Amino acid sequence: MRYSPTLVDHFLNPRNAGLMRDPDGIGEDEYEGCGDLTRFFLRVCDGRAVEVRFQTYGCGPTIAAASVASELCRGRTVDDLGHLEAEEIEGALEWLPQDRKHAAEIAAGALRAAARDHLSRGRRHV
Amino acid sequence: MSRHVYLDHNASTPIHPEVVAEMLPYFSEIFGNPSSIHAFGREARDGVDRARERVARFLRVSPQEIVFTSGGTESDNFAVKGLAAARGKGHLITSKVEHHAVLRTCQALEAQGFDVAYVGVDEHGMVNPDDVRRAIRPDTIAISIMHANSEVGTIQPIAAIGRIAREHGIPLHVDAVQTLGKVPLDLDAFGVDVLSFSGHKIYGPKGVAALWIRKGTRMVAIQHGGEHERRRRAGTENVPGIVGLGKAVEVRARDMHAEAERVTALRDRLIDGVCARVPEVRLSGHPTQRLPGTASFLVRHVESESIVLGLDLKGIGVSAGSACTAGNIEPSHVLVAMGVPLDWAMGAVRCSLGRSTTAEDIDYVIECVEPLVRKLRQAMPVGAA
Repeated sequence: MRYSPTLVDHFLNPRNAGLMRDPDGIGEDEYEGCGDLTRFFLRVCDGRAVEVRFQTYGCGPTIAAASVASELCRGRTVDDLGHLEAEEIEGALEWLPQDRKHAAEIAAGALRAAARDHLSRGRRHV
Repeated sequence: MSRHVYLDHNASTPIHPEVVAEMLPYFSEIFGNPSSIHAFGREARDGVDRARERVARFLRVSPQEIVFTSGGTESDNFAVKGLAAARGKGHLITSKVEHHAVLRTCQALEAQGFDVAYVGVDEHGMVNPDDVRRAIRPDTIAISIMHANSEVGTIQPIAAIGRIAREHGIPLHVDAVQTLGKVPLDLDAFGVDVLSFSGHKIYGPKGVAALWIRKGTRMVAIQHGGEHERRRRAGTENVPGIVGLGKAVEVRARDMHAEAERVTALRDRLIDGVCARVPEVRLSGHPTQRLPGTASFLVRHVESESIVLGLDLKGIGVSAGSACTAGNIEPSHVLVAMGVPLDWAMGAVRCSLGRSTTAEDIDYVIECVEPLVRKLRQAMPVGAA
């Protein structure tokens, strides 16, 4: 198998997939020229992401990267998510083939965008 | 993994046991160079000659008109470049849905100064023979149209195109890699002058193919060296491969009609099952003029590679009609030519059935596809494509 068992598990059983009503932050990222798209929704409490949901369109690794990222970032501060790197997501998937690195990059990009969106709203849910 | 179902016969096929048996002695016992005049060489030559006769008998042509090559891509290159080079300059006609072995060869010829017209297709992937007629110019030197498309399975109206080519005295090359041994081929009725076909699509070995060149057709060799293949294709013959191709063609002659009927019924069972159970899915290619074993689906708003991966994890081998390679999207040039919208084209999945496919296999695939697509769509932003 070209992909790690963790990637396959997240592809087959994506965690936190779907829409979120009235999120506190939304962000998306698209890979130029590829068409793969990932969108994250954050529910924030006391500056931390307490609920994360995602939607994605793409190949198996893109779905898995979004799923594993949704688990990685729950409970972390929004400031922290604003600096999330693709390498952390790739590490959680164990590894990605060279031609699928973009899966982690757009998941990280979408999460950073969601964090920025929340911070730009200038409010916190209590 | 409980079950293995191979539905990618248009990509390649397992070698038929009778073909393997025929080939085996040619790897070790009968190893001579067919060009050698001693007994070792003569024995190998006999194997090559018998294969040539078997292929010729199937096509109802002369054995001298068959040239063995290393694969379908070489056959297509030889055909198109050989016809063009024999005329030196001029205009060629092909279609937008050809295999890259023809399309990129035509592009290479354009870079050398030839003109090429790429005729379009309708929504079913079919060439209109009148478009070919309209594309003909006084300096048109060759027409190259495939018999059936490997991605969507549409069978082209070759007989009508052949009549037009004949009327204008233009040689017609047909890429029959996906049809030889699957559907009837009448070279005279079709008005074909040059025909490409391959071994591994018909339960023969990889690395061997052939080109039939009608006697009297002006062609030049594109590979130079020794005097092999009546000076038309230099290089020591792939003897085991050629023997295997000959036997594979003989087996197809015996089995193809019964198999086509059986596989067509299974293909229709798959089409009906998938289309009934999966929302927003449709068949691509011509509804009736299609290869017996080919069912290509367009699954809206799902990326085809994720379907291929999901089915792979269930032990099912199908192919994606589009591929994300190193971050670059490559929607199928065939679907683009057919005018399929991107949100459908990106979810193209091809199932190609073969001699080992069973009704149980098809039912298993149908069972697996529906929940997989449902799950993929749950994570999908509608309209994102």
